Amino acid sequence: MRLEMGSFPVRTISFGPATRWDAGHLTVDRAAALAEVRRDPRIVTAGLDIAAPGDSVRIWPVRDVIEPRIKVEGPGQCYPGICGRDVATVGEGRTHRLSGMGVVEVSSVNWHDAGGDFVETYLDMAGPFAEMYPYQRLQLLCAVVEPDPALSDESRNDAVHKAALTVSDHVARATAGLTPPERKTFELTPCDPALPRVAYIWGVHSPQAMSGSLTAFCTATYGLTQLTPPWVLHPNEILDGALTGPYRTAFAMSWTVANNPLFLDLYRRHGRDWNFLGVIVLRTEWTTQHEKQMIANQTAKTARMLGAQGAVVTWDAGGNEFIEVVRTIQACEQLGIKTVFLTSEDDATDGAPTMLEPLPEADAIVSTSFFKNVTLKVADPGPVSRVIGLERKIVHRGSGVGLHGGSDSALPTAGTLPPPWRYDDHYGFGSLSCIE
Amino acid sequence: MISAIYTFAMTTGANRVIRGARIEHVCGDPSLGPEKDYAYGMRIVRKALEAITVAVTGPTLFDPQAGDIQEPSHAS
Amino acid sequence: MTAPIRIAHYLNQFFAGIGGEERADVGVSGREGPVGPGRALQAALGDAARVVGTVICGDNFINESPEAALAAIVAQLRELAPDVVVAGPAFGSGRYGLACGMVCRAAREVELPAVTAMHPENPGALAHRREIIIVPAGESSTSMQPALTGLARLALKLGRGEPLGPAEIEGYISQGTRLVWDRGRPGYQRALEMLLAKLHGRPFVSEVPFRAPERVTPALPIADLSRARIAMVTTGGLVRKGNPDKQVAANATRYHRHSVKDLEALTPEGWEAYHAGYFNHIVNRNPNYILPLSFLRDLEGKGQIGPLHESMYALPGVSTPVAMARQLGRAIAEDLQAGGVDGVLLVAT
Repeated sequence: MRLEMGSFPVRTISFGPATRWDAGHLTVDRAAALAEVRRDPRIVTAGLDIAAPGDSVRIWPVRDVIEPRIKVEGPGQCYPGICGRDVATVGEGRTHRLSGMGVVEVSSVNWHDAGGDFVETYLDMAGPFAEMYPYQRLQLLCAVVEPDPALSDESRNDAVHKAALTVSDHVARATAGLTPPERKTFELTPCDPALPRVAYIWGVHSPQAMSGSLTAFCTATYGLTQLTPPWVLHPNEILDGALTGPYRTAFAMSWTVANNPLFLDLYRRHGRDWNFLGVIVLRTEWTTQHEKQMIANQTAKTARMLGAQGAVVTWDAGGNEFIEVVRTIQACEQLGIKTVFLTSEDDATDGAPTMLEPLPEADAIVSTSFFKNVTLKVADPGPVSRVIGLERKIVHRGSGVGLHGGSDSALPTAGTLPPPWRYDDHYGFGSLSCIE
Repeated sequence: MISAIYTFAMTTGANRVIRGARIEHVCGDPSLGPEKDYAYGMRIVRKALEAITVAVTGPTLFDPQAGDIQEPSHAS
Repeated sequence: MTAPIRIAHYLNQFFAGIGGEERADVGVSGREGPVGPGRALQAALGDAARVVGTVICGDNFINESPEAALAAIVAQLRELAPDVVVAGPAFGSGRYGLACGMVCRAAREVELPAVTAMHPENPGALAHRREIIIVPAGESSTSMQPALTGLARLALKLGRGEPLGPAEIEGYISQGTRLVWDRGRPGYQRALEMLLAKLHGRPFVSEVPFRAPERVTPALPIADLSRARIAMVTTGGLVRKGNPDKQVAANATRYHRHSVKDLEALTPEGWEAYHAGYFNHIVNRNPNYILPLSFLRDLEGKGQIGPLHESMYALPGVSTPVAMARQLGRAIAEDLQAGGVDGVLLVAT
């Protein structure tokens, strides 16, 4: 599988008469883009707005950030499978991407109604809070969309994510006939047999058990988020967006998944530091011990069948999902596969353990610090001059999760707000960690 | 402790652990229909009561699916 | 030119050259200057510090009569007027390690910085590591030199009033508190570096050391269930319908106690689940799945259990820090004990 990736850096975005990319400047024909969005009868209101690095602007609610990518040669469509998109296997031919930018999916649609999970992420483009995330360095084209409220949760989730993808496709297509200023070829070239063989075990949350929905949210594999057995992906499939979807934490949105630095470095150093075998997708949040152990066994077995001698493991959730992830690590170690686990940590008050189920086999852990903003003592982001999206943010009682029982305050988005509940640097973008 | 994620309960120090059905419905299973659902739940509860009448030295699993259910003892 | 830092050195009877096991009962004494390994400690400290005196005590004496021993030791220290107290190294000797721990804590109480060294599994380390600075050492005195080097380095820092960084950086035994720390390089780079080290058999340090969860002594079994008062607790986030008590869905800081006195079963009209960690709708249709009231009433009616306790306890067990869970658990247990409860069924989701 050989993929040529052409990158078109975006340094500024503005609205204009036609959508085009020229020497780092992206012009967006707003009316044309929105007309495409409005072709979906489920969409009631749609708008586009721009946020640039350094702007005193706050974007809320943020469900996803997508890097525009399209196929210009080769089978399939980037971000395959999700929202009814083409399911042809991707990863070959040529793909164009608009780097340095993201399309932001902004909508009041919540994930599901089964209790407790709420869209929490908002993004600032300046200030200490903004600096904690990679988005404040990007040019952001915000698709603010609202669907027909009478539709089901599934339909509304699907409609707004599809709208964001429509905008993403629209701007990416501006590069279709152009020569990319930067080009890179990606393939798993044959390499020195003495190099250690490594796989990336990529844990992704399923909304299935939690929400009773198969499409609510989460990083999907070819559009599927349900609880499925371990799934092997060629790294080029990741580059073409096979892993994508709206998510509740800023660090596991489509943009951060496609630009996952751990994944990219694994690929970049293939043939030099190791033989990168590919990605094994581990779907998480099974709800019996039996299922959790089984999926751990099978994931480890898959790694062994690929010939892995080592594996890096990440996950993107919290709570009992930890169990199948740590047991996958245990199962790998028991098969002689040396693992490194990149993870955030829970509260350490009074010297309590910060991992849900500490197992001695998980002996090589890299920590991306406490996952809760309250534990990190993140200061409340201050007021901004402009809001893209909703003018008010509901701040839930207690932890920041929970709606029942009144006393939810609706605060002006433009004012001082508490940070979202979770920070959670799933893929190790930053250097924040913990130490004893 | 009655839990569907029982091994984890034992690893983290719970001494008497009874295997529950599933996180979303620990004491029973709605897919079995009302009668069998109740019987399953009762099996789990009886197993839990058995566990608190038994001496243990450390984390021990009591599986309602395995072996005979001992009737809780009563004074006669 | 600044005056050298004044070091007081604590030794047991053996390292002080008084004698072995048979002299472990000796009381507290003091000597001028360094004694025994104190000389090598002085060499390690160089000109920056001076071992002005050595305080000695028998391992049995201090462990059996700690108050008397420590009072005498502190008196000796006051006379020496040191800037820093160095105790040991105790290596793997349990009583010596405990003694060094106590000496360092006593020194701290009179505002004297203190540091000791011993094997990480020394009972003294396990007992005192959270409170004092302990340099990790080997099991036996064959590792004397590196232990003294470590002690000297930290003693000088303490003596100069320099703030000590985290244990991992400074090289002392972890005090069990995890702090936010910027490691200066992105996590993904550190992960791949750790992977290469592990694959190639090179040493690496896990950023999260393994800590075995605590063991709890099991409660004695109930002899006669038919006379036992049984209570129910759930972490499934059970709330009264509509959540009038305003329990949160996660990160609970309190539990709620409800009466089931006149209830035969939990009904969907009266109860529901409010828990951010699992699909609540199934329990909403039958709350007994997470609090087995219907089953226990059945058995109570048949005389197979004693009285079903009127109070039950509920909270949402998701994202609860361990320290909070401990606190809530203790409070619930105390309440249950006060209520004369013999056995508890705790349902976790």
